[in-house]
Amino acid sequence: MNFINRAFKNVTRKISKTILLVLTFFLIGNLVIIGLGVSSASESAKILTRQKMRAVVTYAIDYNKVSRYAESIEDEDELEEFYKNYPRVKIADVEPILQDQRVRIANSISNNMWYSGSDNSFDFVHLGNSREQNMDESGGQSCWYDESGTMQCENYKEPYFFIKSNLYPGMIEFEDGDYRIVNGRFYNQEEIDRGAGVCVISENLAQTNGVGVGDQITLASSYNSSYTKRFGITDEELDVPLEIVGIFAHNSPLTPDSPNYDYASPYENPDNMIFVPTTTVFMAQLPMQQKNFDYYAAQADPDDEYYSNPDNRPSADNMEQNMYIENVTILLDDPLNVDKFIEDHQSTLSQFASLDANNEEFKRLAKPLDTLSMYANFIVWLVVINAIVIITLVTALTLKTREYEIGVLLSVGASKIKVIAQFFVELAIVAILGFSLSVVSGSLIAKRIGNTVLEAQIATSDLEEEEDFNSGNYLDPWSTDYTTDITLEDLVSEYEVTVSPLIIAEIFVLGLGIVLISVVIPSFMIMRYNPKKILMNQN
Amino acid sequence: MSEILKLENINYSYIDGGYERQILKDLSYGFEAGKFYTILGPSGSGKTTLLSIIAGLDTPNSGEIYFDGKNIKEIGLYKYRRNSISIVFQQYNLISYLTAVENVMLAMSETDNKLPKDRKNVAYNLLARFGIVRSKADRMVNQLSGGEQQRVAIARSLASNVNLIFADEPTGNLDTATEKEIIAIFKELSHEFSKTIIVVTHSDTVSAMSDQRVLLKEGKLHDIS
Repeated sequence: MNFINRAFKNVTRKISKTILLVLTFFLIGNLVIIGLGVSSASESAKILTRQKMRAVVTYAIDYNKVSRYAESIEDEDELEEFYKNYPRVKIADVEPILQDQRVRIANSISNNMWYSGSDNSFDFVHLGNSREQNMDESGGQSCWYDESGTMQCENYKEPYFFIKSNLYPGMIEFEDGDYRIVNGRFYNQEEIDRGAGVCVISENLAQTNGVGVGDQITLASSYNSSYTKRFGITDEELDVPLEIVGIFAHNSPLTPDSPNYDYASPYENPDNMIFVPTTTVFMAQLPMQQKNFDYYAAQADPDDEYYSNPDNRPSADNMEQNMYIENVTILLDDPLNVDKFIEDHQSTLSQFASLDANNEEFKRLAKPLDTLSMYANFIVWLVVINAIVIITLVTALTLKTREYEIGVLLSVGASKIKVIAQFFVELAIVAILGFSLSVVSGSLIAKRIGNTVLEAQIATSDLEEEEDFNSGNYLDPWSTDYTTDITLEDLVSEYEVTVSPLIIAEIFVLGLGIVLISVVIPSFMIMRYNPKKILMNQN
Repeated sequence: MSEILKLENINYSYIDGGYERQILKDLSYGFEAGKFYTILGPSGSGKTTLLSIIAGLDTPNSGEIYFDGKNIKEIGLYKYRRNSISIVFQQYNLISYLTAVENVMLAMSETDNKLPKDRKNVAYNLLARFGIVRSKADRMVNQLSGGEQQRVAIARSLASNVNLIFADEPTGNLDTATEKEIIAIFKELSHEFSKTIIVVTHSDTVSAMSDQRVLLKEGKLHDIS
């Protein structure tokens, strides 16, 4: 007849007391399950939605921060110095971040529009749309002022090819499957480092020109207009010989059904997209940039600070200084790592650099779920605290009626610890019974209440769905937005209140916690009991 | 006969209404093993206080108590109550949600004394010995009469296999016939099983049947011849 056995006997033989306590725990359990279920559903919905979003982090300069800092500088010389060394994205600053094991790939994209080389041997993929049929007029006019200050204009020649270049090997778009290599490979780091003349072209473009991997093609980085001819540029200097290292396919053909088909320029056709390393683009444009510099340097004042400094003349050695890197978009291995990744690297960032997860929209849409989760957690704690108070009170009151029993137990030599343990086991048994019953009913109620409360939350929040401008499956070549658009519907569709084994385990742990705490105060009372007083009073 | 329980210079007082009431005063006494004692005394003389002190339910202000030559403080009061003594109360002090046999087994579960393995059967046999048949032994104790409950209490006091049994007015709630039966049991226990029985009582019937009557007077114990 040890204390566990006694506890079982007490619970099974004092039925009315047991039923009342089971009922109390059952009610507590239901409320806790509702709270935990709703809260956990909110968190799960957020996690599932976050997982659907692309795991991208953008490294960029926070220009708001820069301008606030500039505004705070009062000394003009200091301000001038600050503008001379204006904060910019530096490859060396990003490099340590890219070494992180969680980084899959990085994009630092620049876009250019190019032409066929001077030999006109490389043609673009023709759409045959109305814009293409009027290409001579459709490009509009390009105007500039000559030395005498007279405006000169000539028809602008529309480019054929969209040159998408990356500072890093591989691209997020290829990881996402928007594009895929069907032959050959993507350019590598070694080719980027030396600005190698390599490119990856579409299979339709390859077919149009009857070329394949290993073949050489010639493009032109610009057309030699009257404007550029002033700098002494020759057609040949604009030519960019490139070796095809890979052929890609894409999933977004521009077809007559596409909404903007008639107005699409040749370079807007994904078939005419060519992937070239950023460094290669820079090297291709270098002759024109140098001649441009020389042209203006010759006309500039000898004391001109910029043109008199030979270090400012574009060259392969000062490539980064003359390249504008807007940002670096980093794709991580898991969307759930995004926040931790930012947290880990935040302290290493330079003064004006920022790492942004682009999840402001997600946070905005998740607000009703956050509120729901907050209220649910609040309810859980409120119930738990109330439960502790109620059960403590019940136990303490019960204790008074069981003084005699305690006296008997103490008189036969049972330790006070064993007496407390018996009370704990008794409460634990009824708690387990009550909570087990509440698992069934609680999960049903939680589902209903969770959905109702979420609907009410959404109705009362001032969330407005942003209009989706993305029409059809047209692949916007200019887009550098790697964030995933999510809607409130996405979040809500993931919201499902279920009572998982984890929640059930939590309830039982919480229940035993309540029992344990509820026994603490009565335990102090028991510890102060004097068996003589109890028994002599009884007798 | 050897002394199983020895009291040395026991003093016990308490404050009542701002005055100190001395209940036990330099009380010394030796109880011999295997004898049936009754402690007599007028109401308020401190009989129950003395019983609770020698039963380890309370502690004296000063003085020592030796059980089998060992100071009960050194034994430890819990251990002393668990392994060395049993107490029978006027109100029987049985646990209401347990059956008679379970009440008897309760004492068995707490003691460290060596007991037979088949404890339930031992409990049944003990109860049967005191006239509680198996059908009654399986009843909840509040379904038994007062006399039967006291028998269960006595059976429980024997269940832990101790040699010293205290009883506080054990027959106070019983009719004369039952009182005699219970006292006969105590006498049998002391004589046949060498148990030392110390009973606090007002009853002349009980005291007349004891081996040694002891009077508690002015805080001291005096043998009555």
